[in-house]
Amino acid sequence: MGASMSISSLFGKLFGSKEVRILMLGLDAAGKTTILYKLKLNQTMTTIPTVGFNVETFTYKNIKFNMWDVGGQDKIRPLWRHYYSGTQGLVFVVDSSDHARIEEAKTELHRILNDLEMSDCLLLVFANKQDIPGAMDPTTITQRLELSKLKERPWFVQPAVAIEGSGLTEGFGWLSDNIKKMPKYGGK
Amino acid sequence: MASGQHALPALQRTTSAVSFANGASPGPTPTPGHQRSLSTIPSPLPPRSPLPPAAATTTADMDAGADSSSKGKPSSAGTGTGASSQHSSLSAAPQLRYEQPAARRPRRLRSQYPRGSTENHVEYILVASFDIDRGPVMEHQYPVAITGDEHMLAELMLPDQAHVRNQDWTIFFLHKDTSQEEDDAERRAKEERRAKRNRKRDRAKGIIHESDDEDDDGGDLDDDDDDDDWDDDLSTDSEPEGIEGPPLVYVLNLVNTKQDKTVKRGAVVKAMAICTRHPFLHIYKPLLLLALEEYFKAPVPETLAMLYNAVNEMDLSLMPKLSHLERHLLQASENKDLFVEKFEEMIEARITESGVDQPLDASKALPTRPSIFRSGTKAHIEGHAAYVVPRDTHEFESKVMYKGIPIPIKVPVAVMPEIVGDFSLIKLIQNFTDPHTKTPQAFPLHSHLTTNGPNTNPIIVLINALLTQKRVIFLGHNMPSGEVAEAVLAACALASGGILRGFTRYAFPYTDLTKVDDLLKVPGFIAGVTNPTFEHHPEWWDLLCDLPSGKMKISSKIEPAPITDGLVYFQQQNPVYANLVHTSSSSSSSSSSSSSASDLTGDAAFMADIQRSIATRAGERVIRAKWRAWVLKFTRIAAAFEESVYGASALYIGGDEPEVGLPAGSQGHGHGYVWVDEATKARELAGNVTRIEGWRNTRTHLHDRLRTQRLTASQSRDIYDTLARHVRSYDEVCLLLSVAPEAQAGLFYIALGLFHKDREARFRTAELLERIAEHDAGRHWWRALSRFEKLAYVRIKREAEAEAARGREEEGGLVGGRDLNTARRR
Repeated sequence: MGASMSISSLFGKLFGSKEVRILMLGLDAAGKTTILYKLKLNQTMTTIPTVGFNVETFTYKNIKFNMWDVGGQDKIRPLWRHYYSGTQGLVFVVDSSDHARIEEAKTELHRILNDLEMSDCLLLVFANKQDIPGAMDPTTITQRLELSKLKERPWFVQPAVAIEGSGLTEGFGWLSDNIKKMPKYGGK
Repeated sequence: MASGQHALPALQRTTSAVSFANGASPGPTPTPGHQRSLSTIPSPLPPRSPLPPAAATTTADMDAGADSSSKGKPSSAGTGTGASSQHSSLSAAPQLRYEQPAARRPRRLRSQYPRGSTENHVEYILVASFDIDRGPVMEHQYPVAITGDEHMLAELMLPDQAHVRNQDWTIFFLHKDTSQEEDDAERRAKEERRAKRNRKRDRAKGIIHESDDEDDDGGDLDDDDDDDDWDDDLSTDSEPEGIEGPPLVYVLNLVNTKQDKTVKRGAVVKAMAICTRHPFLHIYKPLLLLALEEYFKAPVPETLAMLYNAVNEMDLSLMPKLSHLERHLLQASENKDLFVEKFEEMIEARITESGVDQPLDASKALPTRPSIFRSGTKAHIEGHAAYVVPRDTHEFESKVMYKGIPIPIKVPVAVMPEIVGDFSLIKLIQNFTDPHTKTPQAFPLHSHLTTNGPNTNPIIVLINALLTQKRVIFLGHNMPSGEVAEAVLAACALASGGILRGFTRYAFPYTDLTKVDDLLKVPGFIAGVTNPTFEHHPEWWDLLCDLPSGKMKISSKIEPAPITDGLVYFQQQNPVYANLVHTSSSSSSSSSSSSSASDLTGDAAFMADIQRSIATRAGERVIRAKWRAWVLKFTRIAAAFEESVYGASALYIGGDEPEVGLPAGSQGHGHGYVWVDEATKARELAGNVTRIEGWRNTRTHLHDRLRTQRLTASQSRDIYDTLARHVRSYDEVCLLLSVAPEAQAGLFYIALGLFHKDREARFRTAELLERIAEHDAGRHWWRALSRFEKLAYVRIKREAEAEAARGREEEGGLVGGRDLNTARRR
């Protein structure tokens, strides 16, 4: 029994068959669904507001991502917590051109990260919609989201234009590298 | 056409409230002495039931056969043509004496949904939409806002992933309390009727109440009394309130997503729902499709009003009300003619009633009565028919006029408790047994669930979970939520069998994460979801049924079954069987049984039979009837178990005190299962029905013995004798038929008595069969008997007659008043 366990985890390490659960959140209309389908299909889809959720599985850098994209309207944000359990990485998507709601985004982000079930997970922030004039740059986003407050947790801010796909591979590159460093990955 | 009927002004429906239900309308007046004179109405139909050609041929053959072998026999008495002949020579035959009631229901027929009833078909119409900033919001409600949390409703109306499909259906139930006032009014009305009825009965017995005179003469009210009497006799027709709470409101919801480049974020998602207390909510599907489309064009309350008025004007008043047993018979039968005479009778009553004031059509040569046609017949299609008898008596045909277009509607006639909406047991069973058959999955053991060990059939695991009040979730990721809801509804029906109650009340055909906190407060539920997040939370459920893969999962966090007193007692009482609890039973209450290989429960064999039936294309009704039998057997065994262990069974609470011992919370305490439904049987039998009750537990049991055991000749003679002696009234025949479903050999085992070696047993059997052949429903069963059996019947009949004649001769001139029975009894 013990032997079979170690073999399967070895295979997991070699071939990246271990599935990693990623949760993608953010305010409504931040671009979450567009990112999901760009990653999954490498296609820009015209997306409409998500009623409930989307979930897709894709492999990147030998890691199988099981990625959840959950609707962002304020009334349905209380549902986010049901998706926390078992999540290894949080992808938080911000509309960098939406100055008015960056404060709201910060509040939501810290609320998520303060949940016990999210204490071990990585944080990748997509500073999306960089193509829009007046968009905040990654440094501004970092400040406005008060990411310096996060102590132990590995985090990374990646500028992106989801409809073009730019920045996405870089972001997921960081995520993959850090997932492989996690003690959890490949274990169990 | 029958415009007078369905053009009943909506106003009358809604405003005639509080006028004591049906009484307000010129309800069908009693038509004594012409119970069944349809034959007097000009119509191309044969006098009674229009026989399907095949059946007609069979009986004709039968006649020929019988005649050729029986020259000079008095008329056709007993050849079995009684099955189709209205004026059955059987009942007319002078030498026979049967109480007429055996042939047909003793009371005047009522409508299920009488004209002028204060009850609307549909209570509310709702529209919700997905607001791009706020999420789900309620847009309009008609005629008034439904009480309760409208945001919660809006969320249910916009199911998860509605954005990835253009159209989706959902179903959910509301546990809406009727308002205090409504409640009181209803209760008062009920009490008043009951009091009246009691007075009437008392008066019949010679007891006179002083206060009687005045209101007892109200004809309308007396009308009601009849109805209630009937209900009470059969007890389950109306759900007793107070035990389960007010009836549920069923909600059928349609959601549409329309891509629209002109709006912000490119799409509009809207949903429209119909709220009704009728369990056949699926009939409204075509109307919702039209109305939601209309609402996209005209998003105003008037669009809701138009639908509301249209559906509430639907006329179902010619749909006869069937008793509990009749509904069971109809449900289990594939026969499209069963109880057709009731539809005819309804129409006939209507014609009689409206004949007086109906203006005659001058263009017609003769002022004839409106004619009745069978739906689908030539005359009907050509439009000559004023009244139409449905082509299949399982469905009442009506229509809803929506924007000037008649939308045909088919309403199920026999609605059983816990059967809600449109679903397929076959589909549910196949969904989980097929994968199990291909690659059996081993369950972790749980004594409530895996009653046949790790390889217990998943459907049995499911029904065990439902009976033991576990938390059951159907998950259909990427499936339309309507399909998930269907699975939940099917599961309710599976476990209920139309017998046990309380499943739909804890069912959530479609739900989502927004309701999970409330859901988890419910002790034992059946829920449908499409969000796979539920799978990641084994602490939320005990059994997860994954629809796409057809696999079931027992939760790693399920509570182990407690060791109960009952189990301990049983083992103490029966030390020999302690390890083989209930060896010969099919009870799943053999909870601690570890020896699973030998199929102690009989469930493996049962499932094999079910799968065989499905493979040989048995219909949905057949499968439902088989499940009903399973459930019935389960309850009986449960009762027997209780009796043996506790000395008495809670399942047999006397009819007079249905409330005793049945608080909702008592379910599931202590003894694990069965007792989920202690209320059930008591409720089914509530009222004065100890007689029917006693009958059930002996006669039906006897029939089972006939079917399953080898008996000695004298044992079986006793059984035939008992059956013949006790199955007399209309209801008793119904009950007998209900345990001899057509799909399971029908009358075969009873007809075997015709070949019994004991002459008396043969006579008795013939007597019983004769009574069945005359019976409104029984004639269809009779017709299904083989020619061989019918010939035997004729032979025995003649034998008996000959003997009676001999008896008369022997007694000289004294025999005038004697009949066959007395002669034989000597």
